[in-house]
Amino acid sequence: MKTNTHFAFFDEGSKKEIRRAIMKAVAIPGYQVPFASREMPIARGWGTGGLQITLSIIGKSDVLKVIDQGADESVNAVSIKKLVHETTGVELTEQTNKASVIQSRHRIPEVALTEDQIIVLQVPMPEPLRKVEASEYMTKRMHAEDDYSGVWLMLFEQIMKYGKTATSADHPVYVNGRYVMAPSPIPRFDNSKLHQSEALILLGAGREKKIYAVPPYTNVESLAFEDYPFSVEVFEGKHCHLCGSTDVFLDELIDPETGETIHQCNDTSYCIEQLNKKAEAEVQTSYA
Amino acid sequence: MAIDQVHDLQQVYRKVLHSMSRPGTISSLADNAKKVDFNLSCFHATFLSAMTFLDAEVTFHILSTEQQSLIDKISAYTSSKYAPINEADFIIILQEDTEESIQHAFAECKNGTLIDPQHSSIWIIESSTLSNSGELTLTGPGIQHEARLHTSLSSSLWQARNERTKEYPLGIDLIITDENAQVVCIPRTTTVEITGVS
Ligand SMILES: [Zn+2]
Repeated sequence: MKTNTHFAFFDEGSKKEIRRAIMKAVAIPGYQVPFASREMPIARGWGTGGLQITLSIIGKSDVLKVIDQGADESVNAVSIKKLVHETTGVELTEQTNKASVIQSRHRIPEVALTEDQIIVLQVPMPEPLRKVEASEYMTKRMHAEDDYSGVWLMLFEQIMKYGKTATSADHPVYVNGRYVMAPSPIPRFDNSKLHQSEALILLGAGREKKIYAVPPYTNVESLAFEDYPFSVEVFEGKHCHLCGSTDVFLDELIDPETGETIHQCNDTSYCIEQLNKKAEAEVQTSYA
Repeated sequence: MAIDQVHDLQQVYRKVLHSMSRPGTISSLADNAKKVDFNLSCFHATFLSAMTFLDAEVTFHILSTEQQSLIDKISAYTSSKYAPINEADFIIILQEDTEESIQHAFAECKNGTLIDPQHSSIWIIESSTLSNSGELTLTGPGIQHEARLHTSLSSSLWQARNERTKEYPLGIDLIITDENAQVVCIPRTTTVEITGVS
């Protein structure tokens, strides 16, 4: 890699272009704003869209958290953190409530985000109509004409076939009652966190060269039919085997010793926080 | 010039982004404005906003015909080119501009197309001191319930703005600046009701 002396990797011209695209994305919630995606020193498909947003908005006083499928320590999250830290010197954290900028792939943290935070979601496939229509020219027209019959038909066919909508993640949403948007491959469990969020939500697709946004306090509705309402993953009767949490998104694991199915918080920093709280409470009772 | 092109402009950007995400929320650029160490015929916040968004990839327009030196200065610092009102990506409205000329600008400026609603103009428009106790009631994305705002723009100018945003997603997005280095933003999604007398 050739030495790069720019703060936050990019030259100022690259940042300006992305910053302008973000402004338009905020002004037109859910609409995919094209931008000139740059080559990045990490593999495409590893979050270059999100990374370009993060590098364009970040400043010296920011505190950054990066998560990949709920984990702060995955290879992907670590390489993104390393690149941002080496080019900016910003403080890194794993604690959600300490971060001012959170870049994430496939999850929105369990801890409620605040007005002082920006969450950047990595998007592999920004076009919610792509399964219905292969041509970019046509999908742009469908968005322009508010013609979403194709995506409704797709969901209807899934219900006919499987008795429910078959989207396991990336279930399409209506933003501000106008644009249908791909929320990125977050589980359906996280869709409600987009609605009336306190934090600004920015989404970036590097390969597809699109930036879009959900401003705070904006209506976001998951597409559903009256007789087949939107449903999320349920973990009824299940709990995290480490911290005991029940109302969070759980991963299913096999206990290597007993061979039994166990569950664990997908959001690892949330899990650690719960464990710390428990340990603190135990210390306090033992001294009482 | 003592403005740090990297860090000051990043800070200005985040303040403006915060305000654009939360229409009616006033942000202060005072810390960065202090570093503008030369005379300008516009507010410091106006100049900082122009510096933040303009470069050779976009064009700007200034309404006043007596502002050649400001046009030259902005072009020199940002490499952005001056363009006619109906082509400009950014439109800069100074406090001296007349009601009539601003009305004309609202009617002539780009407000995007259904296919490309982002091909619209962003306005950087000057006002006397902004405050949150005022004649405007704002609702829409970014606002939890409603926000109040005072600007010095007349109610007929707000009507002209509402006229250009009524065919959403077509519209124009405003960055409003004042002499105290404050900014507030009104994107096209904001419903602006004139509830009091300006
Ligand atoms: Zn847990």
